Amino acid sequence: MTNHNQTDTKRRGVFVFIFLAIATILEFGIAVFTSMWGFLVLLAIIKAGLVMYYYMHIQRLFEQDIETDHKSYAFKLVTNRLGLWLFMLSDFFIFGGLLLTRFNLLGLTRPDLNQTLGLVVTSVLLVSSFFANRAEASMEKGDRKGFINSFAITITLGILFIAGVIGVEWQLAPFSASDGVQGPVFYTMTGFHAFHVLTGVIFLAIVLRNGIRGHYTAEKHWAVEAAAVYWHFIDVVWIFFYPALYLIGTAL
Amino acid sequence: MKKFFSLGLVRGILWQIFGTALGIGFIVLVRILMGLPAWKAEPAVVFGALLGAIFFLIGVGAFTDWYKMAMGEEVPEEVDESSLGWRRYFGVSLDHKVIGIQYMVLGIILMSIGGIFALIFRTELAESGMQFLTMIEYNTLMSLHGMVMIVSILVGIAAIMNYTVPLLIGARDMAFPRLNAFSFWIAVPAGLILLSSMFLGGFDTGWTGYPPLSVRAPLGMQMFFLGVSLAGFTSILGSVNIIATVIRLRARNMTAFRMPIFIWAAIATSIISLTATQLIGLSFELVMFQRLFGMGFFDPVAGGNPILFQHLFWFYSHPAVYVFVLPGLGIISELLPVFARKSLFGYKWVAMSSLGIALVGFLVWGHHMFTSGMAEYLRVPFMYSTLLVAIPTGVKFFSWVATLWKGKIIYPVPMLFTLASIVVFLLGGLTGPPNATIATDLHLQDTYYIVGHFHDTLFGGFMFPFFAAVYFWFPKMTGRRLNENLGKLHFWLVTPSFFILSLLMMRVGLLGMRRRIADYDPALGFDNYHLMMTICGFLIAAGVLVFIINLIRSAKSGEPAPGNIWNSRSPEWQVPSPMPVHNYDKEFEVVGEPYDYGLPGSTYVRFEGEEHHDQP
Repeated sequence: MTNHNQTDTKRRGVFVFIFLAIATILEFGIAVFTSMWGFLVLLAIIKAGLVMYYYMHIQRLFEQDIETDHKSYAFKLVTNRLGLWLFMLSDFFIFGGLLLTRFNLLGLTRPDLNQTLGLVVTSVLLVSSFFANRAEASMEKGDRKGFINSFAITITLGILFIAGVIGVEWQLAPFSASDGVQGPVFYTMTGFHAFHVLTGVIFLAIVLRNGIRGHYTAEKHWAVEAAAVYWHFIDVVWIFFYPALYLIGTAL
Repeated sequence: MKKFFSLGLVRGILWQIFGTALGIGFIVLVRILMGLPAWKAEPAVVFGALLGAIFFLIGVGAFTDWYKMAMGEEVPEEVDESSLGWRRYFGVSLDHKVIGIQYMVLGIILMSIGGIFALIFRTELAESGMQFLTMIEYNTLMSLHGMVMIVSILVGIAAIMNYTVPLLIGARDMAFPRLNAFSFWIAVPAGLILLSSMFLGGFDTGWTGYPPLSVRAPLGMQMFFLGVSLAGFTSILGSVNIIATVIRLRARNMTAFRMPIFIWAAIATSIISLTATQLIGLSFELVMFQRLFGMGFFDPVAGGNPILFQHLFWFYSHPAVYVFVLPGLGIISELLPVFARKSLFGYKWVAMSSLGIALVGFLVWGHHMFTSGMAEYLRVPFMYSTLLVAIPTGVKFFSWVATLWKGKIIYPVPMLFTLASIVVFLLGGLTGPPNATIATDLHLQDTYYIVGHFHDTLFGGFMFPFFAAVYFWFPKMTGRRLNENLGKLHFWLVTPSFFILSLLMMRVGLLGMRRRIADYDPALGFDNYHLMMTICGFLIAAGVLVFIINLIRSAKSGEPAPGNIWNSRSPEWQVPSPMPVHNYDKEFEVVGEPYDYGLPGSTYVRFEGEEHHDQP
């Protein structure tokens, strides 16, 4: 567990969010006014690093065990964290493969998409990530109401994101799935990601339902942490997909 | 009858049939609602098969506990299933030993199916000209032989790792027992889907499934892609479990360099299959999408790139061969000291060489593509990175030879197979560098030489060590040992015939026999060689049959072996066989080096509350 009290954790969450928002706007500006894609890659790596450290708590993997009894909750918590990270590491490879596919096939061109719409859905996901972190911080303090409210907002924004990508983007895109290579690349990348968002929404909904029913305490809330970390993982993937699909290169 | 339907496996298969029908019906309904012609085989069958696999898992009960957890119910931490008797092997069990045996049986079944395929097309090849198979039948059998064997090997290594890893490190079970059960059970519908490709037109691409050929192949191709993608989850989730178990659940004082050497091999294997497996899944899924939705990933006309498929595919499929052999090499290192009664030579080097092979393995995939039109400048770096693999592998050979040197060697069946695997793997290893060297590879690419080479590596790196492991740990599983005489018969049937088979494969390959072809020109003069290879193939099959008979017979009425029959220092042999339900009743502590055989007064492990006593 972190040593900070709740206000500190929450305030830090706000600072990180503000920085992420600024970086996202900066990315947009760089992409619209220049063609310096190296900066976009750099910004994406910085954003991902911030999310992984402050929202996904990657540093917790390296904490020493407090408890050595294999049956205790504290010991299992550490094991569970390791398992979740291993799973996400594996999943990163499939998204990495998709990125490789995109750059192999399209190079420094990009699908002909509405960049503003891309910024809007990205912002929705970013804000949802902020609330997922806030929910976890609330639960760490035992603030059930704050946790429920924040998770409800996260789920709403998640559904909004899926609706934005599948319902709006897919319909407005000026090409179909079988058009050239931009169609396959765009629909497969967003499709794989949207599927993960869907699983994330289901995960969050299950945890929220159990939370409303009074499960989880300030000391024992692994499910809340896992749902939030998985949600941030989806956000990290999008941090790389967004510039790859909407920003880098010239539109076809 | 009611008892029959209460078996998880039976319920799973019934649910799978139901799910498949439901999926097909759903697609037909959607097509009617969209105003399209009702029946289009490809989307209906693919969606049906996918839904069928999910329904299998629901039917067998792999999701039951997770569903309960999601509903906020408590699930028991540990379940005692011993009251179920043999029936627990046919349903979801959380015990890693049961899952290990389930994996082993599934592996042997798949191996037998793949072997039968090989015998059928080997018989066809015994004489030039087409005798009883059509071309597409030959191609389907040959391609399925490859992939069914690969899945059986993945299942086989999962069997050994699942059974032994928690025992060797002193854990009560795997870190995530439910995930472990899920990883096993997804392999069953995946295998069924893979085999169903035979009845859906087959496919003719070989196990690699390269587009553009795989885009045009019959419907069976999709079942192949889907089955392999699903089987990939077995690897991925299994490795999550192995890595987490080893990192978290080791016995007290079992520091990194005091782990049994097999654990290092299991970790190295798991690192590869955890990460790289996603890429073969992705490459196959992209071809599936290309076939289903007309997405032109690998279609040059649409701007796609067929070479991209080969990069994605080999990024997994070359490291995959290290996934296949590393556990086997770990078994060799684990068993040699026991039977040579000597300490393992250069423990740290052997441990590091496993990791070395795994990591260098990620950088070598391009050597499969020297002739495929990959960028020219990539050839030389890939040649050198590939040759680099020989160094850590050589370390292992030095260690084995030095371990045997001046040892008091005894020759029970597991040791025979261990020694054979060293020799066979050496043959496989030495025939590798010519394929890695561009100049010679241009001649050897796609010949029977390659076939001989990888059969040597896989028999030496997996099959023989797998047999050795089963002979070695069978008494631990059942409390009875396998019959030594039948074991020796098995060994002497398989080993010499395998040598003849693989050496002849390489010979005809060097002389110009292409791989994967159904027929060859009699003027090449290969008929006699092929006849001999076919006879050897049947002898190997006879040996494996003896092995299976031995397994069944000895499980029922073998000689009881409750104690430490191999005089091993390993913790699992310090307790009576068969293993108790939750492994060790008393926890143990590591107090010495694992392989100090013959060093007076040394022990590896000490059980809680036990007086110090000398180990053999």
